[in-house]
Amino acid sequence: MAEVKLAGISKRYGDFFAVRDFTLTVADGEFLVLLGPSGCGKTTTLRMIAGFIEPTTGSIHLGNADITSLPPWKRNTGLVFQNYALFPHLTVEQNVAFGLEMRKVPNAEIGPRVAEALRLVRLGHLTDRLPRQLSGGQQQRVALARALVFRPDVLLLDEPLSNLDAKLRQEVRVEIRELQRKLGLTAIMVTHDQEEALTMADRLVVMSEGEVKQAGSQRELYEHPADRFVAGFVGRTTFLAGELAGDGKFKSRGGLTIACENKTAIKGAATLSLRPERVSVAAAPANGTENSVPGEVEFVSYLGALLDVHVRVNDRERIVAQIANREGVYAPSVGEKVHVGWAPAAASVFAGTGEAEE
Amino acid sequence: MTQAATAARIDDEGGGSRLSAATLIGPATIVVAAGIIIPMAILFRYSLNQFKPGLMMVEALTLENYIKFFSDPYYLTIFSTTIRVALTCTIICLILGFPLAYKLARTETRFKNLLIMLVVLPLFVGNAVRAAGWMTVFGNKGFLNTTLISFGFIDEPLEIMFTETAVIVGIIAVNLPFMVLTLQSVIEGVDRAVEEAAFSLGAGPWSMFWRVLWPLALPGIIAGTILTFILGMNAYATPVLLGGPKFKMMAPLVFGQFQLNNWPFGAAVAFLLMLTTLILTVAANLLMQRRYRR
Repeated sequence: MAEVKLAGISKRYGDFFAVRDFTLTVADGEFLVLLGPSGCGKTTTLRMIAGFIEPTTGSIHLGNADITSLPPWKRNTGLVFQNYALFPHLTVEQNVAFGLEMRKVPNAEIGPRVAEALRLVRLGHLTDRLPRQLSGGQQQRVALARALVFRPDVLLLDEPLSNLDAKLRQEVRVEIRELQRKLGLTAIMVTHDQEEALTMADRLVVMSEGEVKQAGSQRELYEHPADRFVAGFVGRTTFLAGELAGDGKFKSRGGLTIACENKTAIKGAATLSLRPERVSVAAAPANGTENSVPGEVEFVSYLGALLDVHVRVNDRERIVAQIANREGVYAPSVGEKVHVGWAPAAASVFAGTGEAEE
Repeated sequence: MTQAATAARIDDEGGGSRLSAATLIGPATIVVAAGIIIPMAILFRYSLNQFKPGLMMVEALTLENYIKFFSDPYYLTIFSTTIRVALTCTIICLILGFPLAYKLARTETRFKNLLIMLVVLPLFVGNAVRAAGWMTVFGNKGFLNTTLISFGFIDEPLEIMFTETAVIVGIIAVNLPFMVLTLQSVIEGVDRAVEEAAFSLGAGPWSMFWRVLWPLALPGIIAGTILTFILGMNAYATPVLLGGPKFKMMAPLVFGQFQLNNWPFGAAVAFLLMLTTLILTVAANLLMQRRYRR
């Protein structure tokens, strides 16, 4: 295992930057997740590390070696594909042995190492099956064993869970994470699923339009998003468009005046982001919080442990509050007049309105 | 439900699928039977007859036509030439066709259909017309020789026309599109990610080809080689026009015997040609499939 160092890598197609100036170091043993919508450049970045795409500029180091222009077969990276890409004509055992054979590992050593890798992914009993005789989850685990057996310097995962059903996905997430910890693997995973990213990563990188928007821990991204895009992509939030009034107040387009933590640097149009779980709902105006806005409950969605309460506060704006579904907690119903409240620190303000609605 | 009832229901379903299978396979089967099996049966019967000059065909039940073929070096040479030419053409078609088919299969432009049309384009011209074209290229005063001489590469014209080389080149030109199209459609079905998986696991291009692409493309390779081999074995116009009067292959020989009204011997040669093609094709398949059973 080794650290991966990406220094200012870009990939340009004509005038279009698929990835622009990506600089990041993935520490030895770290599980890094590249998160972003489709077309944000996360897969291109992963494929540049794997060697299928050569960066237009910048360099990639794996451990101490510069691998920027090395072909994929000389890189010692373990890649797990979205559709697993198992060799359909080879058995499970032969699939896993492939990487060892290519590395000219002595035959006597291949058998035990393949068996060990299959035992790690709990598939020791299926060695003679062909890929088409396996379930999706089993194929996924063969792909993982095949990528791990030759002890790659870095494990690369390209949306490895997107073809599994929801329940299996939860299990495999934990499995991959445990395996990665146990073996001390450096891993880079690409996904567009924020829940997957949040549960698996040591550190996340949010990408959009080929650029890194923010890199950091789950808490950093969620509580201190760098910009409007990150706030919207990681977790759920209510956006209010408007502008800063200068005295620590935010004036929304719908006419709300909201106290927030001072960000005098922002001039002109701005967006306020408000996490639903930081908003309280009460029948009377709240007295503990500085912001309290009257409104009418327009919609309630029931999520089991939680309730999402959508409160219309004026003609243009609606605020979502997420409240616990517990005995003794006030649970309004549709049509009720309520007050929503939150502390100034609960909201973040960003420059620009983007495509802000609500 | 009782077992008997279940069995009856399954039987019913079986009956239904048998019926629809019959309607699906039926028409083609009838055409094959009427158009191929019946004439072949008649031809086989003819091959056991005798040929008497003046009397033409005489009813008999003898193997003398087959014995005549195998005891005369003249016919055996034609026989071996035919197999050699067909094999050479097939192998060269495979070597030339595979890279082309691969590139075609992996191309992702909107011109893909146009490129495929370009591969098929040679087939728009009949064999005889194409052979005539080759004659103008290969002849002593043909394009190739005049060009080479005018550039001073050679002094005397090369003897290409009316040689085995000319025939092989001509047949390859006819058969290559069949090979390319068959391979292309199969390679297209091989997931690109599987090739990338091989690369990422440490396989260079050559290892990837032999360990992954070749075995996965094998159905196409088998189909393509069968097709080109059969076409090569049965080539008629190309050997006649490019091989000239002295160069002989089996198909022209068959036709020649019919022209001489020696139907029994012509039928025997035709039968041998078909049988040899069949045996070699089946043998090659068994061999290739045994190597990659999975």
